[in-house]
Amino acid sequence: MSTIPINTQESPPFLLDLIYRLKVKDVMTKEVITAQRETPLRQIQYIMKEKGITGVPITDDEGKRLFGIVSMDDIIRALDGGYIQDPAERWMSRNLIVLEDDMPLQFAISYLDKFRYGRFPVLNKDRELVGIITSRDIIIALLVEVNKEVEKLEQRIVQPPSKPGEEARRIYHVRKYDFENAGKASAGIKKLLMERNLDPKTLRRISVAAYELEMNLIVHSEGGTLTFRLEKDRVEIEAKDRGPGIPDVEQAMEEGFSTANEWIRSLGFGAGMGLPNAKRVSNEFTIDSKVGEGTTVRAVIYLPGQSAS
Amino acid sequence: MKLETVLQRIPCTIIVKGKGFDELDLRSIVASDLMSDVLTAVDDRFLIVTSLNSEQVIRTADIVGAPAVLLVNGKQPQNGMVRLAEEFGITLLSTPLPTYKVCYLLGCFLESK
Ligand SMILES: Nc1ncnc2c1ncn2[C@@H]1O[C@H](COP(=O)(O)OP(=O)(O)OP(=O)(O)O)[C@@H](O)[C@H]1O
Ligand SMILES: [Mg+2]
Repeated sequence: MSTIPINTQESPPFLLDLIYRLKVKDVMTKEVITAQRETPLRQIQYIMKEKGITGVPITDDEGKRLFGIVSMDDIIRALDGGYIQDPAERWMSRNLIVLEDDMPLQFAISYLDKFRYGRFPVLNKDRELVGIITSRDIIIALLVEVNKEVEKLEQRIVQPPSKPGEEARRIYHVRKYDFENAGKASAGIKKLLMERNLDPKTLRRISVAAYELEMNLIVHSEGGTLTFRLEKDRVEIEAKDRGPGIPDVEQAMEEGFSTANEWIRSLGFGAGMGLPNAKRVSNEFTIDSKVGEGTTVRAVIYLPGQSAS
Repeated sequence: MKLETVLQRIPCTIIVKGKGFDELDLRSIVASDLMSDVLTAVDDRFLIVTSLNSEQVIRTADIVGAPAVLLVNGKQPQNGMVRLAEEFGITLLSTPLPTYKVCYLLGCFLESK
């Protein structure tokens, strides 16, 4: 088994920082499946199979005091040696390497490298069993954190410097059929504007335009970006995608025209009202589309009290 | 029409009690399973009657300023829907009745006023 390649001085500072910042208790599995000393190895074999695990700590009835651990290796040896009916106590490993829940994750990583066990029981200050940690737990936790960081970096890279007169700009990446995140970009735009005490009517018009354009990216396009720009007297929302393009823009603008299929309609889209809605709430509205290349829809909404330039 | 009226006239269960639940005043009703239809509404403060049980309903309600959603046909909300309704403070109800029955019952009440 190769070692986890992040425990070195050459690792990026972010990763080093991460494995010291995260504690074993943030990463471990807290619902530990245990067995008792008198549990037959055969039953532990079944538990492993049923729960898909490779090690079972042996504890008192409350699952707190740890006496040993039975691993898949112990079970294989028991099957070989013909003593699978014996109680766990006779054959469990007693020389336990354990971790403490307050230790930094770095300890768990170096233990996994050093001791070549697949898992370590985790004890609290009172020496009670509170969790178990495997390389899988660690990989998942690290991936989650690294993903968050990459997302932050991406945001920073794609936010171009603002133009003069621009007060805020956000670029959201929108993926095809990503209904899980559908509406998050427009919700983000709305939130940003709410902090600026915009009047509710204008806020609603902007939200409708942003939402309809975001949904069209998800439902009809190959994916693209939703860009929001706030200037002194106006808000601009631009949806730009990578295809497939709209063959007949005039027709697409008709109320009720939709190419959405049954399953899209079952998700609540396809009234053919999105583009007309967005146009109705906008002061300026343009669509540029080329089949095979993509579509750019731009909606501008003037802010009240400001005459548009 | 008070939300209370809806609760009295339509057999329904309350899934989420949103902002101002006790004195909610509803100006009208919009019934549709397609959210862009709902987004054409010019009013706000209406009740959304729908059989669509996805997060998009709550997002739509939030955008148009509809304080309450009534799921028909005994539809139960999908996972994220409840969480989002709580986050946005939108009241979420569910009834076994179909859309037309709900609209008929509430429509009769509104007409009689
Ligand atoms: N970004 C896009 N890329 C390709 N085609 C698009 C795009 N946006 C819209 N269309 C086409 O224009 C049609 C009309 O769009 P519109 O938003 O008005 O209605 P809809 O998305 O079909 O339904 P609704 O918005 O009411 O849920 C769509 O059905 C689709 O064929
Ligand atoms: Mg649309």
